[in-house]
Amino acid sequence: MDVELVEIAEFLRSYRPFSLLPEEVVDSLPAKIRLSYARRGTQVIAPEAQAEHLYMVRTGAVETNAPDGQLLARISEGEYFCIQAMFRDGRALNRVTAIEDSLFYMLPFIDFQNLCQQFPQFDYFFAPHGAERLRDANVHGRGPMGQDQDLDLMSYQVSQLLTREPISAPLGCTIHEAAQVMSANRVSCLLICDGGRLCGILTDRDLRNRVVAAGRDLNQPVDSVMTPNPVTIQAGNLAFDALLTMTQRNIRHLPVLRGKNLVGVITNTNMVQKQTTSAVFLVGDIFKRTTFEGLAEVVSHVPQVLVHMVEAGATAHNVGHVITSITDAVTQRLLELGEEKFGPPPVPYVWMACGSQARQEQTSVGDQDNCMILDDAFDEGAHGQYFADLATFVCDGLNACGYYYCPGEVMAMTPKWRQPLETWKRYFSRWIDEPEPKALMLSSIFFDLRPIRGEKALHRELEALILEKARRNHLFLAHMVGNALTHRPPLGFFRNFVLDQVGGHGNRLDLKHSGVVPIIDLARVYALEVGEQAVNTIERLSAAEEGKVLSHAGAQDLLDAFEFISQTRLIHQAEQIRRGEKPDNFLSPEALSQFQRNHLKDGFAVVKTIQSAVAAAHNVN
Amino acid sequence: MMGMIRSLGLGRRILARRAPEGPLRDYYEAPYPELKADCRDVEFVALDLETTGLDPRQHEIVSIGWVLVRDLKVDMAEHGHILVKPKSGLTADSAVIHHIFDDHLETAEPIDRALAHILPILAGRALLAHHARVEQGFLGAACKAVYKTPLDIMVADTMALERRRMAAQNQAVKQGDLRLDAVRQRYNLPRYRAHNALLDAVACAELFLALVQHRAAGRRVRLGEVAA
Repeated sequence: MDVELVEIAEFLRSYRPFSLLPEEVVDSLPAKIRLSYARRGTQVIAPEAQAEHLYMVRTGAVETNAPDGQLLARISEGEYFCIQAMFRDGRALNRVTAIEDSLFYMLPFIDFQNLCQQFPQFDYFFAPHGAERLRDANVHGRGPMGQDQDLDLMSYQVSQLLTREPISAPLGCTIHEAAQVMSANRVSCLLICDGGRLCGILTDRDLRNRVVAAGRDLNQPVDSVMTPNPVTIQAGNLAFDALLTMTQRNIRHLPVLRGKNLVGVITNTNMVQKQTTSAVFLVGDIFKRTTFEGLAEVVSHVPQVLVHMVEAGATAHNVGHVITSITDAVTQRLLELGEEKFGPPPVPYVWMACGSQARQEQTSVGDQDNCMILDDAFDEGAHGQYFADLATFVCDGLNACGYYYCPGEVMAMTPKWRQPLETWKRYFSRWIDEPEPKALMLSSIFFDLRPIRGEKALHRELEALILEKARRNHLFLAHMVGNALTHRPPLGFFRNFVLDQVGGHGNRLDLKHSGVVPIIDLARVYALEVGEQAVNTIERLSAAEEGKVLSHAGAQDLLDAFEFISQTRLIHQAEQIRRGEKPDNFLSPEALSQFQRNHLKDGFAVVKTIQSAVAAAHNVN
Repeated sequence: MMGMIRSLGLGRRILARRAPEGPLRDYYEAPYPELKADCRDVEFVALDLETTGLDPRQHEIVSIGWVLVRDLKVDMAEHGHILVKPKSGLTADSAVIHHIFDDHLETAEPIDRALAHILPILAGRALLAHHARVEQGFLGAACKAVYKTPLDIMVADTMALERRRMAAQNQAVKQGDLRLDAVRQRYNLPRYRAHNALLDAVACAELFLALVQHRAAGRRVRLGEVAA
């Protein structure tokens, strides 16, 4: 390269993927490119035109529009267009118009191809689906990932913590025989089985407390001192959930089953070795508190949990799971305390979480959304006061902890949302059979429900009705689709971000409503369409793929977009917390790296594409 | 008027006969681009010189940078940068201005070699420069010195084009308004930190694209509209 052209090479090098190429390769590029200029308002590329170059914006900005005129993206300095043409024999797909006076660098097709062949990172960056880039970003863009053991609990399944075959003894053996097996195998707990089925557990501590201290005869049968029907966990669950169970129940050994078969046991030393998130200890702490103030004190640590997890590189999914388990624990504890205060419930009930808590996607201590389903034996005159008291107590408690009263009053303390099962069935039948856009917007929060405490069968019955009705009602689904299209991703950005009326908050980007919410809404529609019970967005999208209403590629793209956008939001919130600010969803463009921008844009493009596909499938405009 | 005569080729053929056999005669053998030609179809050589001073009669060329404009795009594949060895050595002033020092000129060519290099590139093309009088004057003086024959060349001058545009739009031209960097800024072109003959030639070429596109507004622009 002529050293005189170093400024051109430097420009290239300051953007991905040129920044990933060897220095001498980038130095050779200024002599290969062509430069062109477009005046603001003029067309740069027509659809189906022959485009023999990859374009990079040097100064200015362009807009790409689909052949039907739909605005696809705004592309500014350091960004590329005509990428798709590179993969379809140089035939341009979209119209490109300069929206500012612009200078472009044009890399000839042949040089583009050579770079793709020689450098996988270059090829990967421009691979036909930007979504692939997104996958990459989720793996590589996450900071000091994989170095922090804390998060392993979220990525490990229980089965991965098992190190050896379970040590067991038959139900008929004596205490002495059981202790010999434990000693020979150097284990601190023994699983007692009856014909291959787990029926009890005997631990070192049991031997000390129930045998030695009690002076019991060692020849007595083991079932006289074991803990019968112990709490178990399924091998496929997250290690985090195992630790949570052990902490909540204050137990040290947790037998692991696959289906009904015993496959092992995990001990809290397994877990402690793997390290733990402070969230687990918060949950343990919650169950020891007896007052609102005490609970609020525990909840005040939640922002630190978020920061800690984000720093450790947790996925957004993991963070949602952990933060929500704290809300769940607070709710459960408040219900326990309420039942202590007002007495046991006169008829069965189930406390339901709605919205983000139901989906296990909370990222902070936000407004509460909940409701109560009461058994149909409920009688207003006889039991009304009890449930009003209990619900008000719990909602007040949540509010005291920072889970503020829902402005829309979607709370169990609101009489309308504290009703017997029959009434709930009526509510849902009306919402589904006579969908009204406005009512639906209000009620869509009720299509994300998860039982927190109480008689879960009440919820199962309601859920069965919802799922059965919803999938058969096309008009309802169409309305839900319409609802899912109310939040649109911002179509693109350049310099100061282009913010449409939906995405804007000042000149900042609302990551929640323009990125996260549209995907949540889409996932809900898909789940209702295939009759899926899951309410978590990731689980719903997977179910949609299995149910064949969403292609594998579409599902992957949406999952990746969801993770990336959610994570960008979390990182932003963690930074705000670190700075002592109140976390919000609004990101200013300056805070974004070029890398983040590109991937956010890919994410929004994915959302837009799927929104259009769903709208078309349901004939919704 | 000169342009008309030139395009008829009369002057060119006369000069071709006058020039000694060699690069300048070869240059005159190639027809000039036609004034009625669409600028898209004309090849321009954007060229910038660095010199020891401003007066072609007493100062000399130190370096030549050039890049080709073809189909109204800058074709970076065809660029060049030549260091020229001035007979009189460098003055302290110009060395400071251009950051060129005597030892940098060890790789430099004498002016006749430089002309032999650059003239074939200019043949059949139009010269493009910002304040082209300098380039025209120094190249012309060099040709006279080496070949005893003047250089006649079709020229498009980005400074003149911008001055014309401002005058046509009744904009007052203040001091410095027509400097290359200042004009480029008005067309949203990048600001280059360095100044050397090659990068300035590229800068001039980019500016030319901008001027033509602004003038064009969708229609074709003929060479006659932009040639000086």
